[in-house]
Amino acid sequence: MSARPTEGNPLRAFASQVWGSIFRHGLPTTDKVAARTALTNFFLHIHPVRVKKSAIRVSYTLCLGGLSFFLFILLTISGLFLMFYYIPSVDQAYQNIKDLQFVATFGLVIRNLHRWAAHGMVITVWLHMARVFYQGAYKPPREFNWAIGTFLLLITLLLSFSGYLLPWDQLAVWAITVGTNMAKYAPIAGPYTRYLLLGGRNVGQGALIRFYVLHVVALPLIGFILMVIHFWRVRKDGFTGGL
Amino acid sequence: MATVVGGGGSGNAGGADDQSSVPIRQPVIARPPRPRRTGPELASTPLVVRRREEEETVVTFPSLVWKEFLAGLGAFIFLLVVSIQVNAPLLQRANTAITPNPAKAPWYFLGLQELLERFPPVMAGVAFPSFVIIFMILTPYLDRNPSRRPQDRKVAIALFTIYLCLAVSFVVIGVFFRGLAFNWDWTRILGHPGVKPPV
Repeated sequence: MSARPTEGNPLRAFASQVWGSIFRHGLPTTDKVAARTALTNFFLHIHPVRVKKSAIRVSYTLCLGGLSFFLFILLTISGLFLMFYYIPSVDQAYQNIKDLQFVATFGLVIRNLHRWAAHGMVITVWLHMARVFYQGAYKPPREFNWAIGTFLLLITLLLSFSGYLLPWDQLAVWAITVGTNMAKYAPIAGPYTRYLLLGGRNVGQGALIRFYVLHVVALPLIGFILMVIHFWRVRKDGFTGGL
Repeated sequence: MATVVGGGGSGNAGGADDQSSVPIRQPVIARPPRPRRTGPELASTPLVVRRREEEETVVTFPSLVWKEFLAGLGAFIFLLVVSIQVNAPLLQRANTAITPNPAKAPWYFLGLQELLERFPPVMAGVAFPSFVIIFMILTPYLDRNPSRRPQDRKVAIALFTIYLCLAVSFVVIGVFFRGLAFNWDWTRILGHPGVKPPV
């Protein structure tokens, strides 16, 4: 190994110190360095250091759980951009969406991305559930994580459903009218549930602000907490892998 | 090749002092095939038999992280291309005085809307979905079969496949085969001579 280039060069020595203070590891040239990387990096420490080879085969996981999480992140980021333009008012919401489509730079692509990623997430979460079932991965000791996964599926559907109303066009309002009419049929609690959800008897300003708050704060927060538990339990309950 | 981990190994320790040429592990390997166990027995037995190739491990960084990165990148590029090509739907401004015909729920709830067409509302709107959700949560507790191999789980796989097929076909019917007033309508897919399919 040649002499360190930082010797006698204060600028390089400083840069090296800054770099070393942020990243506690070099390139993963050996298993040992790679293991230390996974341990000391905040974003990587969600993974165990070592994992069964059969548990991460793409033909086994089909990447569906990871893709669902990736789409959740993508939806959070694209949703943040949309929030800069969107005002949850029946007078302004529709015009905001029009502005996003025709005025805001990249507004159209961001909105499209948000829409299609949302549909995609519903599909990947469903497929992830099917994958886990067909491989019997819900069996002991993972019973509870399957239950959390069920709630995550419901949260995903509710997230998508609450977002459906926000553009405040004919499609949105009538889909939510039909959707919330289903809640009405529950004995006793049904009509009250619908009134609580809509903040009134019809889909109006009350419904818009409720769905907006559910969509951008409540449901993502609940979903995020459930996801954290879900991922933590995946590690604690052990990986399946191989049949 | 099977390796025994856990409780099974202690029984062989006594055999070591007779100095025979029999390898210590032979009794373990010659053990008759495991009887099929039921749930409670499995819970009380610490014995775990694993195939050796399953125990081979890799460091997650970079092997797993690399796969995740590629999957995420692929999904992002795919969605970006779709988003550039296909615009999200936006109809006229909401008007509560004009009901579109048909009025449909979002596609993932069209299965429920389809059920509402066929069963009393309390059944379709409340009983069926509640049953499915509760049954799903209870699945791991009701399924007492400890095996994960598909050939041992024919009933479970058949039931789940029937459920998936029903759910998917109801959604497909709702999206593609329901026209005015949510009536059955072939023309949405097949078209109709001289008539534009309703949008």
